[in-house]
Amino acid sequence: MEQIQYIGEHLWPGRIGHFCIVLGFVAAILSAVAYAMGTRNDAAGKGWLRMGRTAFIVHGISILTVMGTILWAMINQYFEYQYVWQHVSEDLPMKYIFSAFWEGQEGSFMLWMFWHIILGFVLIWRAGKWEAPVIAVIAAVEVFINSMILGIYITPDMKIGSNPLLLLRDTMDIPLFYNADYLQLIQGNGLNPLLQNYWMTIHPPTLFLGFASTVVPFAYAIAGLWTKQYKEWLRPAMPWALFSGGILGLGILMGGAWAYEALSFGGYWAWDPVENMSLVPWLLLVAGIHSHLIAKNTGQALRATYLFYLFTFIMILYSTFLTRSGILGDSSVHAFTEMGLESQLILFIAAFLGLSLVLYFLRRKQIPVPEKEEPITAREFWMFIGSLILLFSSVIITVSTSLPVYNKIVQLFNPEYLGLTINDPIEHYNKYQLWIGVFIGLLTGIAQYLRYKEPNWPGRRSLFLKKMGISAVAAIAMSIATSFWIQLGAWQYWLLMFAGWFAVVANSMYIIDFLRKNLKAAGSALAHIGFGLMIVGIIASGLNKQHISSNPVVQRQLLDEELIQKNVLLFKGMPMFMSGYRVTYERDTMVGNLRKFTVRYQKLDDQGNVTEEFTVEPTATYDNKAIEVKAFNPSTKRYLDKDIFTHIATLPMKEANFQFAREADDSLDFQTYYLSQNESTLILDTVETKTGELKTLRTEARIVEVDNKPTHPDYKPEEGDYAIGVKVAFEKEDTTFFAEPVLVLRGELLYTYPVQLNDLSFKVRLTDEVLEKLIVNENDLDYRKFTVRQGDSFEFNGMQFQFNGFDQAAKHSGYQPQEGDIAINAKIDVVAEGKNYQARPLYLIRDNSVVNLKDEIPELGLHIRVPRIDPKTETVDIWVAQKEAALSGLPVQIAKKSFRTDYIVLEAIIFPGINLFWLGSTLMMVGLFLAMFHRLRQY
Amino acid sequence: MKKIYIVAIIMIVAAIGLLTSVAADTSTYGDFSQAIATQKKVKVVGTLAKDRPMEYNPEIDPNHFTFFLTDMNGETHKVVLKAAKPKDFELSEQIVVTGSMKGDEFVASHILMKCPSKYKDEEVQIKEKSAS
Repeated sequence: MEQIQYIGEHLWPGRIGHFCIVLGFVAAILSAVAYAMGTRNDAAGKGWLRMGRTAFIVHGISILTVMGTILWAMINQYFEYQYVWQHVSEDLPMKYIFSAFWEGQEGSFMLWMFWHIILGFVLIWRAGKWEAPVIAVIAAVEVFINSMILGIYITPDMKIGSNPLLLLRDTMDIPLFYNADYLQLIQGNGLNPLLQNYWMTIHPPTLFLGFASTVVPFAYAIAGLWTKQYKEWLRPAMPWALFSGGILGLGILMGGAWAYEALSFGGYWAWDPVENMSLVPWLLLVAGIHSHLIAKNTGQALRATYLFYLFTFIMILYSTFLTRSGILGDSSVHAFTEMGLESQLILFIAAFLGLSLVLYFLRRKQIPVPEKEEPITAREFWMFIGSLILLFSSVIITVSTSLPVYNKIVQLFNPEYLGLTINDPIEHYNKYQLWIGVFIGLLTGIAQYLRYKEPNWPGRRSLFLKKMGISAVAAIAMSIATSFWIQLGAWQYWLLMFAGWFAVVANSMYIIDFLRKNLKAAGSALAHIGFGLMIVGIIASGLNKQHISSNPVVQRQLLDEELIQKNVLLFKGMPMFMSGYRVTYERDTMVGNLRKFTVRYQKLDDQGNVTEEFTVEPTATYDNKAIEVKAFNPSTKRYLDKDIFTHIATLPMKEANFQFAREADDSLDFQTYYLSQNESTLILDTVETKTGELKTLRTEARIVEVDNKPTHPDYKPEEGDYAIGVKVAFEKEDTTFFAEPVLVLRGELLYTYPVQLNDLSFKVRLTDEVLEKLIVNENDLDYRKFTVRQGDSFEFNGMQFQFNGFDQAAKHSGYQPQEGDIAINAKIDVVAEGKNYQARPLYLIRDNSVVNLKDEIPELGLHIRVPRIDPKTETVDIWVAQKEAALSGLPVQIAKKSFRTDYIVLEAIIFPGINLFWLGSTLMMVGLFLAMFHRLRQY
Repeated sequence: MKKIYIVAIIMIVAAIGLLTSVAADTSTYGDFSQAIATQKKVKVVGTLAKDRPMEYNPEIDPNHFTFFLTDMNGETHKVVLKAAKPKDFELSEQIVVTGSMKGDEFVASHILMKCPSKYKDEEVQIKEKSAS
């Protein structure tokens, strides 16, 4: 094929990017190797270390450059690049450019690398003697991630990584690319409208910083085993572990907040596989932090600390594999689409799992273990049990979440295998995790009042028992108090509630007893109070969440007990009662691709008085071209003690998809009825009732009037329009409904504005046929001639006419001026039944011939012409005829079964106590960060 | 033996116990014949029978949606979903419904659809030249 010289392409970002991807990859390998050599304590080691450092910096700059070029291409909308084309569109606001960047797999890999690089730079600055082994590990991780964006083909079918800087025309073979100027023809796909909100800007970077930061404790653990400094790393790694725990937790929480606030999942946690697999590393990390503290303070649990940190990172890799390999398929809302990187991802896990296990088992015997066993009265004993429970929790979650992997493996050997699936994930996970919550809640209280290594238990015992007794009594009191507010039901929930309050009370008391003067050290107690509050919040908002959007009148007949009815139908402007509220869908407005629905809630007391009133605005997000709904976003009314969460479950198909609406309107079965003013026409409509019987509805229609200045919500009058409206009255069972469809003639084009009659499910419209009826045939007119002078009056059919001279304006709807025309309007004023009317017929001389254009006064049925002007006698001939348009047999088109579309299907849920969840979980993260700063000061 | 090991062993035993009971919470993806035979809650995988009517009249009941599903063995049954009609339902390539048979109808409490990616990568959108 002949080489095409493409027009307008920018190839330099691609070239720079390609180069830097490869450079970054090579530099990462070099850095890992050189840093590894740099762990030696000799002169050569120093040189290696410097080389490793330089290589890491080169790697960092390369990746930053790649990111920079891609962002540059995105900002400038270089759609010749596949990645830009896929994630950016012309109408994408600049504030979403970062979101578009990390929407795709390649971008999120780069985000991950970006944080590793930043963390690496901080470690170069702060890690001291740990720099070489720790960054060697991080650089090795970077080698693997960088390989994901390499995009090198080994064989035509086998590639390493997916290059984000490929040209669009290299990724697909379509005729479009035979155009040298194809860039003029294409537009970008753009960011998924679901993701166009600020959460997409802040959640991924936070979560990826959380993911990336787990590599630091991992690298320290590896470094400890590798350099045989089995305990020395515990001190410098501690703030890193706490940081990682805080930031990863924050990232997960943000995900929950996003789901709750902006997406219509109806909650903050759904045990979705992707959510689970971000929680598991966090649980392991928290277990690791606790055993880390034990190891640092007592020397116990050192081996466990290694394993916890090693597996935290391994689980991050496993989680990456699950989300990015496509194996979760449709079982998760978050999963990326398949990219053919499965084997590379598996290799990634295998490499670091292998490294961890080999190193651990090689060194296991050398890891120091204290001779003396920890006493059962010591803090470390119970803390370690806490860690084991967290491990237990993460194993349970991982096994259940890995069912798709298990299915896949079985299917490799037995393609017939259908696969297992969890019936009710939420119930399944809650059932087990409830007990984790109970144990952890109790342990946080107990362990706090015990001391490391407990040198003198008899002396401590009475204080311990007293504090535990107070906590238990207070927690029981709190649980009973809470039960007045929320229903607890089963005894297990009572136990969980007790454990939550126990954690809150015991840890609060601990702060008061011991830390009043040293609040900086209160991180752990604060985090544990947070945990307790979170548990209470989860029971309140999860167990007691209540659908208020149910209408007992309509919906209780066909019910299956296990199936809760969740939605109500709201017609626009028609209030509906649900669970003590009067709810009205008032209006909707569309701005861009966002459609806002205003729904008013009015709380009523027993007398039916409104005691409280507010509006919420759930929205529907349409695609970038505003044709079809892509997502419904909730709107929440917040109280201190509860949230009222409202979202649209569904819209009528015609409202949700305008393309469909057009097609549906086209397929409506319009029939022409000839309607009159004086007699009614019967319209029969056969419908199926709710019980399935057929019933014939009778409606009588007649013409009310023909309107020459009609109004219609969609019609915007312009000068020169000829518009008519036909007002039709429909009478059904003693109720009359009016509709006034409008027909507009504008220039050569005819526009019809139909009217939807919701109560009858009719759609009414006019066609050009009606014009023939309404425009009077000239031959039927019987003109009378009046010859008058200016100022003269005359009478015609009881109406007073006066000729008031001429107007040079020469305006007429049927007249288009030409050069050489002589044209004037005759000014004729008419008084009929006390009302004044004006007529302006046109008199025109063009090319030596005389033309006259008539004017009409439709209200009176008058037709007026001026065919002759005699300058000599200063007289004019005025022709007048009267004939009213026939208001009988007017053709009007009516479509039956045109169902109303002015409704929404609404789901409303009350979440009591949800603020306790947010407060508690946030406190947990604050506690972790506080502990980090406290440790940093010691360090 | 160290006490902590005893605790650990108890936990391992508990974990094995719980994990074997995971099986009780799961079910295989099944078909209609299984649902009819067992009369229990099953997950049926299938495709939408596009030649049969779909009914959703939110004016009558916003939580009642019916359609016909053809399972992997080619058996077709009416499915009643007690919820609003899901978005993009017609586009689904595969449907998984959880529920049980009630007479001739399969009453579903949960539905999962596999839809083609909303943004088809292979489709290059050509700019619409505006007329004016």
